[in-house]
Amino acid sequence: MTKSLLILATTASALAFSSVVSLAGEVTWWTPNFNEPRARELVEKFQAANPDITVNLEITTSDGLPQRVLTALQSGAAPDIIDVQHGWVNGYAQNGLVIPLDDVLQDREDYIPAALDYVTWDGKLWGIPYRIETHAVIYNRGHFTEVGLDPDSPPETWAELVDVATKLTKEGRSGFAITGGGEVGNTIFRSLPFIWMNGSSMISDDMTKATVNEPAAVEAVTFYTDFFRKGLSPASTLENDGTANRRLFIAETVSMYQSGQFDIASIREENPDIDIGVMRIPHPEGKDTAAILGGWSFVVPSDAQNPDEAKIFLQFLAEAESQGTLTDTFPARKSAMELPRFNDPILQVFKEMLPYGRPVPAEKNWVQISQAYFNGIQSILLGDMEPQEAMDVAAEEIQALLDE
Amino acid sequence: MYRPSTGLLFVLPALIVLAMLIAYPVAYTGLLSVTDGQGNFVGMSNFAKVLSARATPQAFWNTVYWVVGSIVFQVILGTATAVLLNQTFAGRAIVRSITLIPWVVPGIVAATTWAWMFHTEFGIINYMLTGPGIIDQPIGWLTNRDTVMPVLIAINVWKLFPFVAIMVLAGLQSIPNDLYEAARVDGANFWEEVRYVMLPQVRPVIVAVTLLLVIWGLNSITIIYAITRGGPANRTLITPIQIFRIAFENVQFNQAAALSVMFFAVAIAIVFVYIKALASQPREAR
Repeated sequence: MTKSLLILATTASALAFSSVVSLAGEVTWWTPNFNEPRARELVEKFQAANPDITVNLEITTSDGLPQRVLTALQSGAAPDIIDVQHGWVNGYAQNGLVIPLDDVLQDREDYIPAALDYVTWDGKLWGIPYRIETHAVIYNRGHFTEVGLDPDSPPETWAELVDVATKLTKEGRSGFAITGGGEVGNTIFRSLPFIWMNGSSMISDDMTKATVNEPAAVEAVTFYTDFFRKGLSPASTLENDGTANRRLFIAETVSMYQSGQFDIASIREENPDIDIGVMRIPHPEGKDTAAILGGWSFVVPSDAQNPDEAKIFLQFLAEAESQGTLTDTFPARKSAMELPRFNDPILQVFKEMLPYGRPVPAEKNWVQISQAYFNGIQSILLGDMEPQEAMDVAAEEIQALLDE
Repeated sequence: MYRPSTGLLFVLPALIVLAMLIAYPVAYTGLLSVTDGQGNFVGMSNFAKVLSARATPQAFWNTVYWVVGSIVFQVILGTATAVLLNQTFAGRAIVRSITLIPWVVPGIVAATTWAWMFHTEFGIINYMLTGPGIIDQPIGWLTNRDTVMPVLIAINVWKLFPFVAIMVLAGLQSIPNDLYEAARVDGANFWEEVRYVMLPQVRPVIVAVTLLLVIWGLNSITIIYAITRGGPANRTLITPIQIFRIAFENVQFNQAAALSVMFFAVAIAIVFVYIKALASQPREAR
């Protein structure tokens, strides 16, 4: 009897420890696995300066994270701070799952404005951005030289990109790889910027009208899908996502593709022979380039046990130096960008792309809207429909979602 | 009066578990289908929304294609394999075990492996076909509108025909030898034995297995979701995947519930018609 009671007590206390029950002065912080070593470093530094507050670090995995965070936020047993992607914050704010953080933010003018716009809703700030990134075009300088192109002056306009891609495409090699498969987000990140550059969008700014079948948008979609239709993107385009394109680039069967700086390390590691070049995403003649701004923010759930302590810790995490340590790509603060870590010349172009980064629309049906658009892109790539027809169909579906 | 209530008491735990695990979710799905996210009654509007989606009719016909295509080949190939494995030849035990492998491999593992084998660029299938010059250009098996569904059906057939084979084989082995002897006395050759002895005798097995295959086919998500996620452009989207997408990617549980309710009704109708039409027809098959 005593023994079983003891077991019961031990089990109960073990359960109590493992669930997210914070005691006074304790802050539980969920951060994704790729942040782990740098996050530990920051926690140690903070603890040394603030012995009254204990930070419990819990490591999450980015696979399936949206579902896990949503469950935690809705269950009432949430941690005190969570790292989430910028794009998710708005939904949490609209459903009252996180608290406003205007009182935590310092040096507002030091942040890249688009990053703050991303996490602002109803005039309040719902997250503290700490990591930002955009795509650029990664290219194989050796391939440029081989076909007599100057690797130091990569294409800048759409026409030049098509021209260069055509020259680079030969026997078993594709000039410019687009995506047409995998998760929907892959193709959104790579094709939506072209629509933006051309002065259009998928939905109007007030989110009442589908604009994806406007002439400028269709022109951009045609430009994007033509890389495959004219044979400049690999035959496997319809099953390729960003990772597949990187693999093809490493195998030297693709000469140019869009991606973020996180690809650089693995290309260098897996095929050190490739002389990597990075260019801005080419734009239509006389217009600016554009990209989707991606990255991560901190949020504090409405059900956080110790929001006050969490805010103290957040202020520390939001300091330029902490952001510079934690980010896997770039920090959201301009002053942190001066740190030596971000001086690698290969990062220069990615850095130049940042001011052109824009947030994706914070529309509640965005997942379905992007699925409708993606189906349209796939129909074009399959040869079922012409761009105008495919985008008309997508626009009709998107309009129905906007009217809900 | 006393005995039935004792009996009820014994059955009660099982009934409660069944009610919690089956009746409650079914009833709750029904409730979800007529309410909105806040739990307010909204009548048939979820049904209307889901039916007006472009993907819904496409998914329905894809499901029919998928289920019928899979079952025809699973049953034919499975039965043929069973007849073969019922013959006496050297190494029969080994062949029988090997046949079972696809059925034993976890679905997600098989699907991912096949996806790589069929990949346009890196896949071994295109490699083997282009190597000796059987085809000049790699074929986009999973991205060509005409090949993607047949390829998925082929994978599904590969995965499940061993199950049919084993079930039918068990049926074949229960056929008494007298029947074969009687047939041979009448001068029946091998094909006539198959036609007049084996198939009629294993008919109830095939009927039951087909019913199972219909249910599994209607439920299957793993193979298609792991390989194409319903793409390209919804060409391999079947209704279970559409339900999964609406519920877990779009987080529209009410619309997903509405589609589930309709799908449930269709599935019940199909199973009912099937049982009425086929299973109970020949008296001697019981």
